[in-house]
Amino acid sequence: MAEARAEVRKEDLVNLVQDLFSEGRVDYFLGYQPGTVKFKTTPLIIKKGEDIQKLAVDDYGHYNLTFYLKEIKGRVGILVKGCDSRSLLSLLREGQIKREDLYIVGLPCPGQIDPKKIAAALSCEPEDLEQIFRRGREMIAKVGGQEKTVSLTQALLEKCLACRYPKPLVFDTLLSGEYTAPISPMKRPEDDLRPKPAAEKWAFWSAQFERCIRCYACRNICPACFCPRCLVEENMPQWISPLPSKGDNFLFHLMRLMHVTGTCVSCGECERVCPMEIPLMKLNEKMNDDLKELFAFMAGVDLEKALPFRTYHQEDPDDFIK
Amino acid sequence: MEIKTEPGKREKEWEPRIMAFLCRWCSYAGADLTGSSRTSYPPNVRILRVPCSGRVNPLFILKALRSGADGVLVSGCHPGDCHYTAGNYNARRKFAVLARLLEYVGIDPRRVQFSWVSASEGEKFAKVVSGVVAEVKALGPNELFRLTNYEQTVKEQ
Repeated sequence: MAEARAEVRKEDLVNLVQDLFSEGRVDYFLGYQPGTVKFKTTPLIIKKGEDIQKLAVDDYGHYNLTFYLKEIKGRVGILVKGCDSRSLLSLLREGQIKREDLYIVGLPCPGQIDPKKIAAALSCEPEDLEQIFRRGREMIAKVGGQEKTVSLTQALLEKCLACRYPKPLVFDTLLSGEYTAPISPMKRPEDDLRPKPAAEKWAFWSAQFERCIRCYACRNICPACFCPRCLVEENMPQWISPLPSKGDNFLFHLMRLMHVTGTCVSCGECERVCPMEIPLMKLNEKMNDDLKELFAFMAGVDLEKALPFRTYHQEDPDDFIK
Repeated sequence: MEIKTEPGKREKEWEPRIMAFLCRWCSYAGADLTGSSRTSYPPNVRILRVPCSGRVNPLFILKALRSGADGVLVSGCHPGDCHYTAGNYNARRKFAVLARLLEYVGIDPRRVQFSWVSASEGEKFAKVVSGVVAEVKALGPNELFRLTNYEQTVKEQ
């Protein structure tokens, strides 16, 4: 049944995109296509109405497509999940993109499936999974011809577990589908690092950042990183050496955080693409929690509210200042 | 570079180096007043004058630590007294986020301190500096970003 619904949604989307191109409303359309590997969906950029039939709508579209908007100029149609719509809102708020250049197709999202997590829960390799489908509020995975049940918590991406916006916040057309929050109550696993003593925290992050190879994948995929010339490429003066070392890696990661403060919507792309599997989301979540606590600010939900570093109040917290 | 000393001798020899970013209108003038009124304060601070506390990029603070400063002090005008009306209010927001992030990655908050010192508070400046120096002294040298062997070799070449 889930497959049948996906087919309907794909047909709706294909018809819609065809109309958009034939009416000349967009120059490009950003969507997903089936990847070359099972359970992988990759981005698809449609130019001049080619490849529309390749479009896919499924639960493996992990990519946040809004990061392409940095590069693609012109009128763009884009497919967004609930979380991606927050990125879109924060970019609109920053003035990086114009609303009139966009045609937004909303995708109600029941949570994105992470085959790696399912494989870990069933203690097998991701390649062994033959089929994954939903049945009610559970996931069924076929391994070696046998159906095995896993819970949604074991099957969905970490970020989906705390999802508050399964329905896109901004759209021109909304595709059909359920948009109830995947897990209830929505709860992010506690960060067990926060209450620990400073020495332990330092040891943890030192070990993480020593592994960083400075491939900049986290920066390149980030929709919130849009400086035309990045700090790490400055060489007069050179603030951060390109040589990967613990100290410079710390500088890079902390400065990256400071630069995306107020724009980062915890979409989790930086952590997903990290080849060294550094838990970058711990830092982003911490920063976003701080913004909520200090300035009652949440990125990408409000087009009117001032960005945290573009405004101030006289009664802002200053108990840390002597 | 490892300085080899006899046990117990190190505390006597090691003196912390504090990088101080002082705002041109209040804290720098305050530091001036400390000197002209002959109040003494520890000579461990290296003062850098900035136009406003709002000019202090979090990068400066991190870079100072990375370059081997044992502590960093950022000081500006009291809220409401900024020469540019709101520079210190904006700075305060940035520093609030930065201070919490530094705490989260395990950098002791005593290494990076913030204060408001006006041009007439020469006494307060001396007190703030003595406080920072004493606290950093208690923490010991900043070995957070000590050069790796490889970096050391590259630097020596």
